[in-house]
This record gives sequence, C-alpha cells and structure tokens, in this order.
Amino acid sequence: MSTTGFDPNAKLEDLDDEQLPVAPHRRTGFGHFFGLYAAEHVAATEFVIGATFVGLGAGIWDILIGLIIGNTLAVLSFRFITAPIATSTRLSLFAYLERIGGDLLSKLYNGANVLIFISISAAMITVSATAVRVVFNIPPQVEAYPTSPYFVFIALAVGAIVVLVAAFGFEALSEFAGICAPWLMVMFTVGGMVLIPALTESVTGYTTLTGFNDFIAIAGESVFTGTNAAGEPGIGLWEVIGFAWAANTFAHFGLIDMALLRFAKTPNAAYATSAGMMFGHYIAWISAGLMGAATAAVMQISILEAEPGDVAFYALGASGFVIVIVAGWTTANSNLYRAGLAAQALLPNSPRWRVTIQVGLVAIIAACFPFIYKSILPLLTYAGLILVALGGIAYAEHKLFAKYGMSEYWMSYKGLKNNMPAVITWGVCLVFGFGLNFLNIIPFYYLFVPTWFLAVGLYMFLAKQAGAGEDFTDQKAAEVAYNQRVVEFQAEQARLGGFSEVKDTTTLTKIIKAIWIVVGLVVPAVLAWRVMFDSPDLYTYFVNRELFYDLTIWCTVIYFVFAYWDLQRHKSINKVASAKARASLEKEEELTESK
Amino acid sequence: MPRSTRPYIVGAVTVAGASMLATTATVAQSSNEETTLTIATVDNREMVRMQELASVYEEANPGVTVEFETLGESTLRQRVITDIATDGGGYDIVTIGTYEVPIWGEREWLLPLDDMPADYNADDLLPAISEALSYEGTQYASPFYGESTFTMYRTDLFDEAGLEMPEQPTWEFIMEAAEQLDSEEVNGVCLRGAPGWGENVALITAMANSYGARWFDDAYTPQLDSAEWRNALGDYTSMLQAFGPDNAAELGYNGNLELFQEGSCAIWVDATVAGSALTDEDESRVANEVGFALAPGTGLEVNSNWLWAWSLAVPESTDAPEAAKDFVAWATSQEYTELVAAEDGWANVPPGTRTSLYETQEYTDAAPFAELALQSIESADPNNPTVEPVPYTGIQYVAIPSFPSIGTAVGNRFALAVEGEITVEEALENAQWVTDTVIQQSLTADE
Repeated sequence: MSTTGFDPNAKLEDLDDEQLPVAPHRRTGFGHFFGLYAAEHVAATEFVIGATFVGLGAGIWDILIGLIIGNTLAVLSFRFITAPIATSTRLSLFAYLERIGGDLLSKLYNGANVLIFISISAAMITVSATAVRVVFNIPPQVEAYPTSPYFVFIALAVGAIVVLVAAFGFEALSEFAGICAPWLMVMFTVGGMVLIPALTESVTGYTTLTGFNDFIAIAGESVFTGTNAAGEPGIGLWEVIGFAWAANTFAHFGLIDMALLRFAKTPNAAYATSAGMMFGHYIAWISAGLMGAATAAVMQISILEAEPGDVAFYALGASGFVIVIVAGWTTANSNLYRAGLAAQALLPNSPRWRVTIQVGLVAIIAACFPFIYKSILPLLTYAGLILVALGGIAYAEHKLFAKYGMSEYWMSYKGLKNNMPAVITWGVCLVFGFGLNFLNIIPFYYLFVPTWFLAVGLYMFLAKQAGAGEDFTDQKAAEVAYNQRVVEFQAEQARLGGFSEVKDTTTLTKIIKAIWIVVGLVVPAVLAWRVMFDSPDLYTYFVNRELFYDLTIWCTVIYFVFAYWDLQRHKSINKVASAKARASLEKEEELTESK
Repeated sequence: MPRSTRPYIVGAVTVAGASMLATTATVAQSSNEETTLTIATVDNREMVRMQELASVYEEANPGVTVEFETLGESTLRQRVITDIATDGGGYDIVTIGTYEVPIWGEREWLLPLDDMPADYNADDLLPAISEALSYEGTQYASPFYGESTFTMYRTDLFDEAGLEMPEQPTWEFIMEAAEQLDSEEVNGVCLRGAPGWGENVALITAMANSYGARWFDDAYTPQLDSAEWRNALGDYTSMLQAFGPDNAAELGYNGNLELFQEGSCAIWVDATVAGSALTDEDESRVANEVGFALAPGTGLEVNSNWLWAWSLAVPESTDAPEAAKDFVAWATSQEYTELVAAEDGWANVPPGTRTSLYETQEYTDAAPFAELALQSIESADPNNPTVEPVPYTGIQYVAIPSFPSIGTAVGNRFALAVEGEITVEEALENAQWVTDTVIQQSLTADE
C-alpha cells in the first residue's frame, strides 16, 4: 500500500508531535478552555466590530437579543460540529487534512490560511498603530488608504516590532498574552461603564441612568438606533444573528478550532467557548459600541471614524493606549505565527522565523491601509466562507462516510497523492458561495450554511464516484495496528514525562495572586462603578473619571507585574517538581535494574 | 482524462452550473426623475412652521418632494454628524447652529453657499450673521433666524423707582437697579442659572467677555482663574443670590421667560428672540410695560451681546446639491419671510437674518424691539469675542468640539455657586481644573 503523508509503519519517535493524536495525559477540561476562549475572543477586533454594528444600524433590541441567539448558535456549532470531530480524531484540521486531502488540498488550504492570517495580522497592527498615532498627535486616518506619511511610518514601525517578536519571541509574547485575558475582560467592561454617563449627557443633558429602561432608551436613541450610516433602516434581528454566528465560521463550521478542542477531555468542553462568545462577542461588542458612540459624541465625529486608539483613550485614559496596543499586538502575534506556520508548510525548506518575516512584511504593508481593520467583520465572515467547505469535507469524511458505506482515509488507502473530489468540492463551493454573494441572493453572513451543506453533499457524491466505497479491509487493519502502537507509545511517554501539576499554596503566591486580582482587577472595576453610578452631574463625572484614569494606569502596571510574577513562579515551581519527579523515576529504574 | 476522475468532474461542473443558473437574476433599475429632499431639522416653533409651509415650495416646484426628519437638538447633531462624516447622503439639508458651522466648514462637510440663485440676495444678509456662518470667508450655511442678547426691563417699575435705563447699561447699573427694584413680588433681576453650555454658561461667558475675561489664551491654556472671571462670576452670583428668583439655579431661558411674562422679573438679560414673546398681549401680562436696552457691558470695547443663528446647510454628501440649495435659498429668503407674515403675522416672521426685514415698516411696528435687536446683532463679532486675543471663535461658546462637555461641567459648578453651596473662588478653581483636563484630552485626541 502506498501512502501520501501517512505511513502506518512509520517510527512514531520520528513523527512530529502535531501528526500524532493528542495523548490522553495531555487532555484538559472545561476550566482550561473557559480561560483559553475568554483570552482568544477578547481582542482588539472587538473595538472595531462593536462600532461596525452601530454603523450598520442595528437596533438596541436586535443587538441584545440577536447577539445572544447568534452567539448561542456559535457555541452549539463548536459543541456539535467542531468538538466531536476534534475529540474523536485528536488532530488539528491541518493534520487531518494532510491525511484525508493529500498534497494539493493541503497546499491550497495553507495558501488560504496565509492570506487570511496575514489580513487579520495587518488589521491588528493597524489597530495598535492607531493608539501610537494618538500619542504622537498624528491626524486620524479616515480614508481607506493612509493620508499621512507619519501614520505610514508608525504602522511600519509598529509592524516591524510585531513581526520581529513573532519571528523570534513568539513564545514569550504568547505567554504574556495568556495573562492578559482577565485584564482585557475587565477593561472592556469598565470602558463602557466609564463612558455611559458622557453618552447619556450628550443625549439627555443628564449624566445618570435611573434604570435599565433608561439604558435601553439612551442606547436605542444614540448608539444602536436602527438607522445605518446612510440614514436608512439598518440591519435587523436576523442580520445580527447571522453576523454573530458567522464571525467565527472558520473556527467552528470551518473546523480551525480542532487545533484547540482536540485537547478537550470530552466534547462538552466546547461549551466553554461561551466564555468567548458571551463575553467577547456580547458584552465586549456592546461595550465597544457604547464607547465608540460616546467618543464620537465628544469628538463630534462619526462613530465609524472613531479609531480604536481614540475610543480606548477616552474610555480608559492612558490604560486605553495599553489595551489597544496589547490587544492588537497579542492578536497579531498569534495570527502571524499561524500565517508563518501555514507559509512554512508551503516552503518547507525555510525556517519558521524566515517565513514569518516574509509573511510579516506583507502584513506590515497591508497594515498601512486602514480599510482592512475597518472591514474586520466582513473579513472574518468571508474568511469563514473560504474555509467552510473544508469543514464540510472533513465532517463528511469523519462523521458520514461510515454511515453511507464509505471509508475515512480512503484516499491514502487507495494510494492516491491527491484527493481530487475534495479539491473540486472546495472549488465549486467557492464559486457557489461567492457567486451567491455577487448576486446578492442571501445575506453574505448566512452564505456559509448552504455552502457547508453543498460541500458535505458534493464531496460525498464525488468521493463515492472516486472509490471511497471500495473495500479497504487490509488498510483498516494496518490503521488499527498503527493506532494501537500510538496508544502504547503515548502511555510510555506519559509514564516518563508525566507528573501532576503542583498546586502552589505558599503564602507569597497567595499574596501575589491577591494583589493582581484586587489591585489589578477589582479596584478599576470599583472606580468605574463609581464613575457610572455616582456622577450626578458632568463636573462630578469628570472628577470621578480622572481618578479612574489616574489610578487605573497604576493598577494596570501592578496587574502585569504581579500576574507575570505569578506565572513565572508557577512555571518555576512546576519545573522543579518535574525535575524531581524525573530524577525519582530514574532512580527507581536504576534500582529495578540493579535488582 | 483518466476514467476514475471523469464522474466527479462532470458532477462538479453540473452542480456549479446549476447553482450559478439558479442564482442568476437581473436587477431592474428604474429611473426616477422625481427629487426628494430630506431635511434634518430641530423641533422648535420656527422650524415646525417651515415644515407646514414647505407645501408652498413643492407646489411651485413640481417634481420636488420635501421630507422632514424632526429631532431633538442633541440627537439631531449626532445623526447629522454620522451621516455627513460617513458620506451617507441621508440628508440633503441639515439644520445647524453657528457653533457647528466653523467646525464643520473646516472639516469640509458642507457645500459652500457662494453660488446661490440671484434672487437669494446675499448682500441683504446681516454681515455679522453671514460671517458667523462662514469659515475662512466662505459661507457654509444660510441663516433661518438669528438672535443676539439685550436687556429687557419693566418700564412701570423703573418709573415708580425713578430709574432710567441707559441705552447702553453697565452691569454695575443693572446691579444697582436690581437692588432698588427687588421686592417680595418682583425679582430685581432674572438671569439664566440652569447649568448647561447653552444656558447659564452662555450668559456668563458673554458677561465675562464684557469684563475682559476669556476662556483660553492663544495656547489653549484655560484662563478661568483670572481676576476678570472672578469679577464677572462674583457679580453674577451676587446679583442672583441677592435679587434673583429663589430657584435661580434651576431657571433657563424658558423659566425666566415665564417669570417675566407673569410679571415676576424687573430686569432680564437674555436672547433678543424673547422680545416678541414679552410684547405679545396673548402671552404676556406685562406686554405693554416692557422696555429694551442693549446688553450690559463694563465700559470695555466688548459688551455682553452674543450671536446665534439656526441655519440651513447642504452636506457634501447630498446627491441633489442644486435642488437642496434652491430649497435653502427659498426657506431663508425675503419671499419666505413675506409668506410667514401673510400666514401668521409679522410678529412671527423669523428675525435676525436680513437687513430688509428691519426696513419693513410692518415688522418694526409689530416688533418695537427690532431696532435694538438689529443693533445687538450687528455689533456682535464672533471672530473677536473678547478684549484679549483668543484662538477660538464664538461669543457665548467656544467653537471647539469639546466645548459642550466643558461648558456643561463648568455650568454645574457655577450653578452651585449661585446656590451658595460653594464659593465663587472654588467654582472657578473647579472650572479651571475641568477645562484644563478636558481640553488636554481633546488636544491629545487631535481635536
């Protein structure tokens, strides 16, 4: 049997970790994913997407209800589409496609990923640059293209730093990004709270809200008005649902998040995606819309012109610069890394740092054009439309083939180099999806649904014609043997390297944790609460807001210092414990041998 | 073609073709020669009347339909900004004030109105108003009605007290007269006290200008800690505390108008537009006992008279610029004034925009305050509002985007000073701090 990219007799020690299913001892539970998704989906993009909903003219009730429904659909998509395949194959989509799709599909997939992740990275670099722009007093960039050479210089400079760190210091920044999640969540929430009185005052002349009905009235009249930027009726409930659901199409229906969820102990861990969906894509989007509207009212500009740097500065003072730069940078970092990995798969002879710099250069140039970050919501939606067919192909192969008398991995069993039914299915789906979009038959944020179904049906039909239903008894037996070898190999790895994480209960660690939680998170929240609920007039509002600004920047510094210290202590303690466990194991083995 | 690949390629082509055919559609575009003008306007009496009379324009201009979107002032500003700044094209004509025009003109959001039809008669516009609606010499809005400030007083009470109102009173005289006229039944003086950039701050700013004060120096450093501000605010609070209404810090334009109409104010310094309401016998119990004088000063070259005009402007984003300009020309023309006079009487015509109105006998007969109102408007200079030079325009406001926030916050403290909750010094110290804080933030964010 000849195979492409997969050899059931391969020496497991020689295989890349990514090519093997996730070992049982590396699987984690709900809590881990809760934090992971909270961090992943509270990013700089939320500033832009919140404002985009305002510009599209969503009404307040459409936002409040539509986002809940759309995000619930997204969570359910993660749970019932992505997680079952991820926890069954225990592979990333990239590795899975290598097995079922062959060279050509993998190359096309990687090419698409390079483009998508470069675009997202570029958008995030621009977002960070908007904060630096404010610091250096450079005019806002309201056009699709750069209108100031100084802004171009800033975008290039910020981009250069981001790319160099992604190429040479990815791990360090990634580690740093991990501790940002709680702070980002608090900052997004308090930012909206701090600006609500200013927004209320600009509409009613009063700074105080008397209740939820007041909030609905103010937000409905001044933020989510139901009228779009062209003065026409804006998007409604169905559109809001569609946008919320489609914003992460590439992750759930497109199965990109198999890379994360393959580590889940059970598919139910996918419910933890609600941390990202219901916070990042609900509270943060609404909060960003409120912040944008308030900033626009103060600056007397359109919300669509208010840049993330301005919005964050008005909402959070100096901490606003930090949030935009940190959120933009950490998101750009992970996306540049992904773009680099995808590009490396296309250029296997180049080291990762080199291809990261190459794709980074493209991202830096693109970052000079503000229209990319301003189009982030449609960009994410179209990215989903590009990749959703691959999700459909993988779903069909893994979940449906057996039911219809076909075999998963049939391509490699047949010894084919390429999976032409998959390549053609993807091509047809692109024509179908973008054709429907061109003809404007259905809203573009719902296009992924018919496209996914088309991919599933067409791929099953074409694969059947190509021989997926043939008898592969021998190949399946080899597969079973391979899987058994993997199980034994990973059990041995677990025995040699595995040890339970040490829970650090020292007083110093408790103090460190208490400081970053109380000073870094609770104090800004209390100060913001005071701004929102204890500012009976505009003067008092400014007094409270200044206090919030002045203290929150120090809270931010303290948060990062102590959270990073906490992280390093945790790593150091576990490193020592791991070394001890290994030494003890070796001693035990020596003892056994000597006996 | 290898045998094994043919079936799925045939299938793929079939599916793709079918899907494309199924989704092919033609979009018929109907040409529409009708023009619809959408006007964003504010919900005040004069603008509502314009809506009622727009049918006259439609009858005279077949094919043109005029639609109004009437909004509160704040909502109007927000909606219009979003529409204009994003090139939305939702509005063909917008209603804006003198505060917005220079800011929006600088941002190139409005079409210049330097090519209006010949019968628009631009030379007839009052120069001060025309200038207030211009940026760097180009007019960007056409005035619908304009106003300044003057002094309104009870002639009967002045006669009883043996007082004579000078044509150009000083604040010192106003204080002395208020002290004499103040009684249990009548407040010696009424002034705007309700906090807000368009309420107490408008009056106090105009008053402070006449004391030689200014909001900012050339570098936008706030100047509210100056002696001139202390004197102005000190006199203002002293007057209201001693001779003003008990709830002076709650009364804005409308509250004071009602008080004067019911005979509870001896002197009131406020907008010239109040003149017609005070002299209307149907509305005012003291209609025949009202006298008028110029806004007070202190003997310096600047008095307390401000300048304001609600006006119509055409956004850059309109797709019907010529039709929009034509309507603006009609709604702000002499012809429109005559139409209102014919429908509702001369007392109700929009005042303060054209010289010809003040040369019309019927109007000056119906509005005995007309000449003083004209004089007040003509002597107001928003480009040189203060004794010392300033980097901003505007008399009772500062024409920068952050002024509404600054003004209202400062107004909160001034109102507390009137109530005696804080001292004048404390109020000005607070005002200096908040002005500095907000302006620094605004300058950082590229105001």
